[in-house]
Amino acid sequence: MASRTVTKDIITLRGSAAIVSEFFGYAANSILYNRGLYPEESFVKVKKYGLPMLLTQDESVKSFITNVTAQLSEWLEAGKLQRIVLVIMSKATNEVLERWNFSIETDSEVVEKGVSREKSDKEIMREIQAIMRQIASSITYLPCLDEACVFDVLAYTDKDVAVPFTWIESDPKLIANPQMVKLHSFDTKIHKVDTLVSYKNDEWDEQ
Amino acid sequence: MIVRTPPPKRPRSETMPPESPSAAGSDRRMVIYEDSPLAAPLHESPQQQHSDHLLCTYQCRQMVKSEFLDALSSAEKQVCDYQSRFETMNENFSKVEAERKKFLDQFLYAEQELAAAKGREQALQEQLLKEVNDYQERFRKQIQSQSDLEVKLHNEMNLRMKAESSVASAEEKTSVLERKLNHISESIEREKKRLHNEIEQLKRESKLSVSRISADLERMECRAKNAEKESDLLKEQLDNLKKQLTECLHQKNEVEQKLSSFTFQEDSSTDSNILVKHLQEELRNYEAEVREARKLRSSHENIELLKEKLLEEKGRRERAEAELPKLQEFQMSMKKLEDELSSWKLMISEIPGVSCSEDIPVKFAALQKEVIDSTMKVGDASARLKQLEVALDAALSEKQNAETEAALVKEKAAVSKSEVKRIELMLSMVTEERDKLRNLLNEFKRMKNDEAGDEVVSGTLVQELESSLAKKEFCIKEMESSLHVQKEVNTRQYEEIKLLNEKLNNEARKIKSLEREGDRLRSEIALLESKLGHGDYSAANTKVLRMVNTLAVDNDAKQTIEALRTELQKTKEKLQAVEELKSQSGDAGTLVDSYISGKITQLKEQIATLEKREERYKTVFADRISVFRRACCELFGFKIVMDEHQRSNGIPVTRFTLQSIYAQSDDEKLEFEYESGNTTILANDYTSQPEISRQVEIFIRKMNSIPAFTANLTVESFNRRTLS
Repeated sequence: MASRTVTKDIITLRGSAAIVSEFFGYAANSILYNRGLYPEESFVKVKKYGLPMLLTQDESVKSFITNVTAQLSEWLEAGKLQRIVLVIMSKATNEVLERWNFSIETDSEVVEKGVSREKSDKEIMREIQAIMRQIASSITYLPCLDEACVFDVLAYTDKDVAVPFTWIESDPKLIANPQMVKLHSFDTKIHKVDTLVSYKNDEWDEQ
Repeated sequence: MIVRTPPPKRPRSETMPPESPSAAGSDRRMVIYEDSPLAAPLHESPQQQHSDHLLCTYQCRQMVKSEFLDALSSAEKQVCDYQSRFETMNENFSKVEAERKKFLDQFLYAEQELAAAKGREQALQEQLLKEVNDYQERFRKQIQSQSDLEVKLHNEMNLRMKAESSVASAEEKTSVLERKLNHISESIEREKKRLHNEIEQLKRESKLSVSRISADLERMECRAKNAEKESDLLKEQLDNLKKQLTECLHQKNEVEQKLSSFTFQEDSSTDSNILVKHLQEELRNYEAEVREARKLRSSHENIELLKEKLLEEKGRRERAEAELPKLQEFQMSMKKLEDELSSWKLMISEIPGVSCSEDIPVKFAALQKEVIDSTMKVGDASARLKQLEVALDAALSEKQNAETEAALVKEKAAVSKSEVKRIELMLSMVTEERDKLRNLLNEFKRMKNDEAGDEVVSGTLVQELESSLAKKEFCIKEMESSLHVQKEVNTRQYEEIKLLNEKLNNEARKIKSLEREGDRLRSEIALLESKLGHGDYSAANTKVLRMVNTLAVDNDAKQTIEALRTELQKTKEKLQAVEELKSQSGDAGTLVDSYISGKITQLKEQIATLEKREERYKTVFADRISVFRRACCELFGFKIVMDEHQRSNGIPVTRFTLQSIYAQSDDEKLEFEYESGNTTILANDYTSQPEISRQVEIFIRKMNSIPAFTANLTVESFNRRTLS
């Protein structure tokens, strides 16, 4: 929350972008932990959003997420980010198994006129907490990832965004005929984030 | 009841019994006072004694007596006559009186009934008035609802028009999309051709490069062998030269000794000078030889270096060979990718309006646009739907109201009809009654006319009655006319109700169609939402980015970096060795240096070309291997899937899964493990079937022939397939 103004209930564009990108960082960590992409021992517990959150200690993952969130924050401040997708793929076949969708709706008035909005920190934290809880509980219904998996982050941006040096254009890595579960959403009054997880249909279910 | 008694007809001066003849005679006749009292006691009853004071005192009594008697008898006769007549009259009168009373009673009864009928009529009129008011009110309401419904109808027609226009636009869109599709399919065809051509070219190139590489390899090997031979030769020469050198040195020492011994004799002997010259020449020769030997030695070192390099190259070659299985893996993955690609292509072909991958973004854009449009439309539609639903609810409730009203109206109509009938019945009854009364009255009148004129009162009464009857008739006529009007109104209302019912039905049908449309739109919304959730996006205003160094790539990069580091370490060590060598052998080192750098660039180039080739080989190999697999499948009747497995002790094993093309279920699979030249069959559900296990026992365990087993199995499966 880098540039939160003095009054607690006023929220600026930068502050909102920081909240959203930070949320994404924690959410990504939580997903990586809960979906077992990295070994349990490579995570440490920290307290965040009134919950014990797990953060990876793997340097490469850490730096990757840091870089991603930094870039996302930049785009969020410019109001150019439409969606963030955390894709979980099979390491062997590169088949996409899960897509964690974070759709972002930006209040264009705030971006254009630089006005601020009012929403209490507490309320936003409560909303984020609900999403985090849902992410943690998602393992109950998501199919088991019983092969080595890798993850990737896709950013759906506006067309006019200049592609940064470390980023390239990509295909959307869609899942054919996926199952979808909509999770809670949170709203900073500037950015509204809808969370949805879509995953590959388990063959066992179809039989 | 008014009982009228006739007034006394004649006032009598004396009270006289009606039957007394004198009294009767005194009525009309002149009385001779002197005679009668005398005559009476003689001839008549003792009652005549009462008229003593009327007795004639005159002497002429005897004279008149006969006359009088005659007259008296005649008068008595007349009296009797009159009496009888009077009695009959009296009788008649009493009869008439009784009749009159009866008529009066009847009249009064009729009056009462009339009054009752009036009351009833009034009540009926009131009721009718009320009903008419009700009907009017309802009619007004119906008209209002009709106008409402018309407005709604108008709205709905507008909506329909809009929907039709949207349908038309959608059709246009589809036509545009179809055109695009055609265009795209053409471009795909072209692309395919191009790719085919490229593949052909690549195949040719790969063949060429394979042959070239093999030739290069052979050449290199030849060169290496030559170099080895040369080095052996040179070694031998070097040994010889060393020997010569040592000899020469020895000789030189000897010569020097000799020289030192001969210096004293220098001046004296010219021979010795000559000898010295010879020796010097020889020395020079030896020195030249020594130089040559040195050169040889350096070349020998060079050869050593070359050998090392050769070894290195060999190592590299081995590594490359070791990489070959990886290449296979790559080819496998390539194949997989190709399959995927083909599936994608299939999918693309299945996607309407898309025929090559480049079209997908466009299509996505179009779809996204469509999605946005349709979401907008959906929003509109849902709003419309909501409106329609509200309208529908209102219409439904109205319909219900109207229906209940209609039912009510119908009931009322039935009731009023029955009432009308009742009234008509009553009317007919009343008219009948009236007619009867009239007849009675007429009769009465006739009777009265026969009677005396003292019946004026009753005449006036009758007139009154008649006038009231006329009024009644008038009333009845009025009622009839009003009834008629009411009937007309009723029929009109009935028709209106019918019309409204029809409209209601139409509305209901429309509502149903709208509901269907609503369902359709809802399903469309669901579809679009699912698409959106799926991750589709509009390429027109969105692009998807990802970070270049994803972790998977990172890991690979790490591994390659590690490998490169180790290689660097090795080369460093080599370089050190070379430098040492260089320092050991001065100018030869520089030679080697330049040679090495040249070689390195050459090798780098070679590596680059080899890498390129490797890429091509991969593609070619994938093609070839797929052909090979298909051919194997066709020729031997088994689909073969190869995959790597690790045993629990960590030893990697290759596993082959065979499935006959005549297999009747997916479970009919044979699994083999291949390890260092040995192939063993693995037990599974299929092989543990008694029939199959018997065959396994015979063919594999006893005869030790897997091909015989598979061939037998193929024949059996084929027979089962064809015979069954």
